[in-house]
Amino acid sequence: MAPILELNGVVKRFGGVAAVNRVSLALERGRIYGLIGPNGSGKTTLFNCITGVDQADEGEVRFKGQRIDRLKPHQVFHLGIGRTFQVIRVFPELTALENLLVVTTTGYDEARRRAQELLEFVKLERLAGEFAGNLSYGQQKLVEFIRVLMTDPEMVLLDEPAAGVNRTLLNELLDAVRGLRDQGKTILLVEHDMKVVMGLCETVFVLDHGEKLAEGPPGVIQADERVIEAYFGR
Amino acid sequence: MKRAFLVALAVTLVALAIYPMHGTGYGVRTMLQLFMWIALAQSWNLISGLTGYVSFGHVAFFGMGAYTAGILIGKLGWAWPAACLAGGVMAMVLAVVIGWPCLRLKGPYFAIAMLGLNEVLRVIVSYYEGLTGGGNGLSLPTLHASVPIYYAMGLVALAVTALTYLIITSRFGLRLMTIREDEVAAEAMGIDTFRHKLYAFLLSAVGPGIVGGLAARDQGYIEPLSVFPLITTITMIVMALFGGKGTIWGPVLGAVVLFTFQELVWAHFIYLHQLFFGAIIVAVVLLMPRGILGVLQQKYNLPRTI
Amino acid sequence: MVGQVVISGLLAGSLYAMVALGLGLIFGVMRVLNVAHGPILMLGAYTTFWLFHWFGLSPYLSLLVSMPALFAVGVVLQRLLVRRVVDAPELSSLLLTFGVSIAIVNLAQLTFTSDLRSVEYLTGSFILGPFAFSKARVIACFFAVLITAGAFWFLQKTRLGKALRAVSQSREVAQVCGIDVQRIHMLAFGVACALAAAGGSLVAVMVAIQPEMGQVYTFKAFLVIVLGGAGNYPGALLGGLLLGLVEQLSSLFLTTQVNEAVAYILLVLVLLVRPTGLLKGRAS
Repeated sequence: MAPILELNGVVKRFGGVAAVNRVSLALERGRIYGLIGPNGSGKTTLFNCITGVDQADEGEVRFKGQRIDRLKPHQVFHLGIGRTFQVIRVFPELTALENLLVVTTTGYDEARRRAQELLEFVKLERLAGEFAGNLSYGQQKLVEFIRVLMTDPEMVLLDEPAAGVNRTLLNELLDAVRGLRDQGKTILLVEHDMKVVMGLCETVFVLDHGEKLAEGPPGVIQADERVIEAYFGR
Repeated sequence: MKRAFLVALAVTLVALAIYPMHGTGYGVRTMLQLFMWIALAQSWNLISGLTGYVSFGHVAFFGMGAYTAGILIGKLGWAWPAACLAGGVMAMVLAVVIGWPCLRLKGPYFAIAMLGLNEVLRVIVSYYEGLTGGGNGLSLPTLHASVPIYYAMGLVALAVTALTYLIITSRFGLRLMTIREDEVAAEAMGIDTFRHKLYAFLLSAVGPGIVGGLAARDQGYIEPLSVFPLITTITMIVMALFGGKGTIWGPVLGAVVLFTFQELVWAHFIYLHQLFFGAIIVAVVLLMPRGILGVLQQKYNLPRTI
Repeated sequence: MVGQVVISGLLAGSLYAMVALGLGLIFGVMRVLNVAHGPILMLGAYTTFWLFHWFGLSPYLSLLVSMPALFAVGVVLQRLLVRRVVDAPELSSLLLTFGVSIAIVNLAQLTFTSDLRSVEYLTGSFILGPFAFSKARVIACFFAVLITAGAFWFLQKTRLGKALRAVSQSREVAQVCGIDVQRIHMLAFGVACALAAAGGSLVAVMVAIQPEMGQVYTFKAFLVIVLGGAGNYPGALLGGLLLGLVEQLSSLFLTTQVNEAVAYILLVLVLLVRPTGLLKGRAS
């Protein structure tokens, strides 16, 4: 099976510094991947390069065999890659429902139905008419999560989904993510919470100073000396 | 509540429609100007209020419309209704020409580009002196048409307000607003922000274009200083800001209040007047950034259709 | 002929660079586009004019008055007004500085009237071989270079300057390092206004002074920032020189009227082709 997402030698520089330095990854369809690394290791930049928010200086990104590294973010989205952000980016002056509707271009009724479904899925249906900016942190996080699902993307990139989320909500989120995987979607998440990563991901990539340090199942990565060094220093 | 509003609206419209038969010539010309400002403020609202992309050079479309109509009427003998519509079309063309390079980027760059637009247009007008009369201006054959122009202006004001209503209640309008809220997130959610900005920009240029043509016809004479003045942009902006940018009736409210004020008090002291507007802009931005209707909307949880 | 034009371009460009550096500082540190930059320059020009008119003070000495005075004005503006919109959406800071610029220009109209003023101080040209340069331009360039060099020395070598650059790069990190970001903001705005004032004082000897004179400089300063890359301070220098060169060169081919539009056309071209600036800037 050809990988659904491939990165080959991706480099992204800011000023003189390479935030992402010759990173190559291959993701198989229908699995959950984790991307970890110390702060500043380039994880969000990598996400940005995949989704078109930043343009890679060198290398290529292929989705289902097609090069996407020169596309604009909205084009990448329509090809089937959705993402959430490290800092929540819901549209504060739109209601929760509108936040979802805005994403779709299909018929209004169909979109509304789907939005309702998703809101019920995360038990937020009574807040549909609330301005997203007035929701609690956790609620906004959920809205951002389901927003990404509105168009049923094949691949979902989650940037720190567990950040600032309480235990109960977190478990619901993780179950939802596993559910997505069971539907055949591919998930790549950036996360600092090791328990989440270890419990959820099938394969983990480790970035350090913009370079891929290690790759493998969580158990192996956890024991890898280089990874420990990167996080805690010598 | 909504019904009462609609009734009041209908009554007002009827009153405005029969006014010319009872009002003085001066009254008609004053009201005609009010309609013009409503159309202008409302149009500015379409791009700047909804998408958050501040247009500092919007008067360029007004001037474009004025010169297009002026040339068509004065040199080619067109009838003024057609000429003014042509003014609207040319304004849209200008919007595409400017918007295509400038809207690709984020807000600040767009603002910069719009700031310089005035100057360039004035230069172009004086360069093509043969056509535009340059600094000497362009005279139109005399025509006493205040009443038809009153209705025309009123129609444009109504049309632009109706357009705003349609946009704000549609998903297109929602997407425009996401550009204002968080453009990066909007892009990531599949919204082609460039295309949307461009459409909004085009739509925001038509009103000023037509209205510029009508104003030219009404005055009978145009020159660069009268149709490209910064004060026109300033006034549009103050009116929309004061009443409530991003709302439907905000620009109307702002236009009515500030125009009345302007006519009664400040028109006689031009620099004081402009200074005052500058101060209002600062005050609104600091104290009441959403304008009067915006504040009311928030406080009383009013629907977006205000 | 070309040599003359090139050097004229560099002379003019040095002024643009200095003024644009100021604008760039505000944008780099606070992400605010100061639409009132031109009007501040205008105030600097008027300061020089009145000092010359009443006391016969040399315009170049008046720099010692206009720069500190407008530095103070800048600090006050920042503290009272701009500070409140630094974190608001860009729309707010744009509108705010726009409102301030209208207020300043019209206050000037009311106090100074729109009569054209001029400072007749330095006439004639320096002759150097085949080239002739207006004395005022050369001296203005000299001071512009001096002041800009001083500004760069400040940015690179002093602790405050480094703190300022740190805030430009990342406000959060700077805060964590114990830098008083609020003070840096005031400082940046003040320095920027001082630079604009210097531009005004130097230009006072060369052009007609009237309340609306600053508008065109605002636009050109913005253009320089676009050319050099937002947040790229050395870029502002090169951008300024480039603009000066382009303007002078195109004046060989175009009528004076059309030449005014050159800056604008340049802007549109750059925006189309390389919006992040000709050098590496940070795309906002």
